[in-house]
Amino acid sequence: MNEELDSQLSAMFDDELPPAECELLARRLSRDEPLKARWGRYAIVGAVIRAERGVRLNAPLAGRVNAVLRAEPALAGHTAPRDLRHDRLRWWQPLAGAALAASVAAVSILWLRAQAPGEAPLTAHLAPPAALSAAPAAATARGDSYVVPVPKQPAGVTVPSTELANYVVAHSMFSPPVARRNLLSAFMTSEPATSGTEEPQADVKGIAQ
Amino acid sequence: MSADASDLSLVRRVQRGDKGAFDALVLKYQHKLVKLVMRYVRNPAEAEDIAQEAFIKAYRALPQFRGDSAFYTWLYRIAINTAKNAVVSRDRSPVEYDLDRNNNDESYDMQGRMKDSETPEGLVLTDEIRSTVNAAIDALPEDLRTAIVLRELEGLSYEEIAAAMECPVGTVRSRIFRAREAIDRRLREVFEGGLGRAEELG
Repeated sequence: MNEELDSQLSAMFDDELPPAECELLARRLSRDEPLKARWGRYAIVGAVIRAERGVRLNAPLAGRVNAVLRAEPALAGHTAPRDLRHDRLRWWQPLAGAALAASVAAVSILWLRAQAPGEAPLTAHLAPPAALSAAPAAATARGDSYVVPVPKQPAGVTVPSTELANYVVAHSMFSPPVARRNLLSAFMTSEPATSGTEEPQADVKGIAQ
Repeated sequence: MSADASDLSLVRRVQRGDKGAFDALVLKYQHKLVKLVMRYVRNPAEAEDIAQEAFIKAYRALPQFRGDSAFYTWLYRIAINTAKNAVVSRDRSPVEYDLDRNNNDESYDMQGRMKDSETPEGLVLTDEIRSTVNAAIDALPEDLRTAIVLRELEGLSYEEIAAAMECPVGTVRSRIFRAREAIDRRLREVFEGGLGRAEELG
């Protein structure tokens, strides 16, 4: 046994060790069984010197306490009360994820099928950002409504299949690999030769968000 | 030197989920706590049960311990409340205990009470531990014996002992450590010998 370590242990037992050293030694003490046994014997020496005569010096109290606490969770994971609502929600989360991925895939496939085979490029009639931001204001002006107003479309904004493919890849976490692969191959096979007419990518990003 | 830094560092470890650090706190305070509880209950075995309950309550309440008071003050309060509740629930009267009474008073027959619940082996080991430690203390050089006795019996700080013994604080620390080492060497023989193996260190 290291003499310096034992000297520190003795000082720590008496609350005479600097706090920084206490931190380090406490860490070791909690793991080092021989050191802990020595610490326990220091307590016995004190009990004998103080003539604590009614006390059993060999009582297995620490072992009994340890046995009870072994069955309990450690305090760090026990301080905050458990949110039971969270437990209830947890079971359907994977199902919801799968359902969402399936819906995205289904909508995408239906949308792709709606395109005529010779009809290229893939287009989406998307409103520019200004029109999008104007839509809620218009809806408010007309009163409550569940119908999403269709803004007046300017000239069709072309979203090339490469952009859509990027979008699908960026959101790949929401779709199963097989569906994603099918979708991507559908995009690739329908890729027109007019890729030079692509709109700036910023618009697509704006929609994706 | 901040008082109670040692206990606080162990307490913080327990609060972070290190159960091993709580063992060290139990080992340090178990005898004091049992002694305290024995002011309220007659039977030493019952006192140990109450002390055990107090330690477990303290462990469970540790997330609420902020360190505003010393750990042992907080622990003692829990132990006293646990002992009082035990006395009330079992409809027993507390033992009349004169705090000023000299613990060395041979007429105070605590040993006699222990015999009701103790096994003969346990009693023999307790006696052997006591006689071993006392013999080891008697064999210490005067300066080491004075230092350890002032610390353990009188509860003086190292600084106070240094003033009393007219030596540096570092010397006091060294003397107390050397005294403990000399006693521990003898004590270890008891625990590692025949009788010591049968019982846990506690």
